Amino acid sequence: MKAPRSSTALAALAALAFLLAGCGEQRPPGVNAGDPARGKVALSQYGCRACHMIPGVTGSEVYVGRPLEHMMRRRVIVGKLPNDQPNLVRWIRDPQAIDPGTAMPNLGVSERDAVDMSAYLLGH
Amino acid sequence: MPGTRTRLILTTVIATLLGAGAVAVLAGFIVLRAGWYNVAATTQHFEFVYRLLEQAMHYSARHHAQTVLVPALDSRAQIVRGAALYRDNCQQCHGGPGVAPGPHGMSMQPTPGPLVDASRHWKPHELYWITRHGIKMSGMPGWEYHMSDEELWDTVAFIMQLPRLSAADYRAMTAPQPEATR
Repeated sequence: MKAPRSSTALAALAALAFLLAGCGEQRPPGVNAGDPARGKVALSQYGCRACHMIPGVTGSEVYVGRPLEHMMRRRVIVGKLPNDQPNLVRWIRDPQAIDPGTAMPNLGVSERDAVDMSAYLLGH
Repeated sequence: MPGTRTRLILTTVIATLLGAGAVAVLAGFIVLRAGWYNVAATTQHFEFVYRLLEQAMHYSARHHAQTVLVPALDSRAQIVRGAALYRDNCQQCHGGPGVAPGPHGMSMQPTPGPLVDASRHWKPHELYWITRHGIKMSGMPGWEYHMSDEELWDTVAFIMQLPRLSAADYRAMTAPQPEATR
């Protein structure tokens, strides 16, 4: 009688561990790579917040660049690209290549940092 | 002479206020001395701390700039000189249309911020005052001893033009000149 009970407990424990593990790792839909927590810090370290208001990142009220809230709900970015993670990374790394007239400069963002930033932005 | 009851109330009120004050001072000292507030530039201020400091800075700059008299700021020569001064002294931290700040400007806390919209928040005499005197604890240096008064105003004249400049305009205006215009 003892064996089945302990195996039930074990299964419950495994299920709980699985759920808990899922909590931290869960990525928003459409985000396949990157570390959002690291991306959040990167957004402040490349001065993104100087021009853009970003949810969760402290700074002034500013409208030089568009506010980056509700990014996960947008269909299109930069007025022409489908809003997915690869396109967002491409834009962050070299905006002038996509829109030569933009006032947003190339900030020398590394691939890893851009992926992490996009993971954070697309989760909000 | 107040009655016993009044005296008791007064004593209680005063003792409570002093007690609360002492506890607040002690708590503040502990937080300060333990080093719990993180001064790392890779961590952010609490939103309310940032807002409070920023608001105080705005009020202070506006108050102290009141007596500044503004000269004419619309001559082409002035703006052209200002563009070169901006490129050499401001762009590293504040960037420009289509131009990124240097790495130190990007990762400072508080972020120096773009100046393309500065003339939306500040009047010319306030921009002059800020450029001349700098802002304590923000990383903004005072330029009083490093620029002439004429150069300070040239810089302000250029900053006033910034909202109208595209990335291409900015590039053209800040391109190194073969012969000196200064």
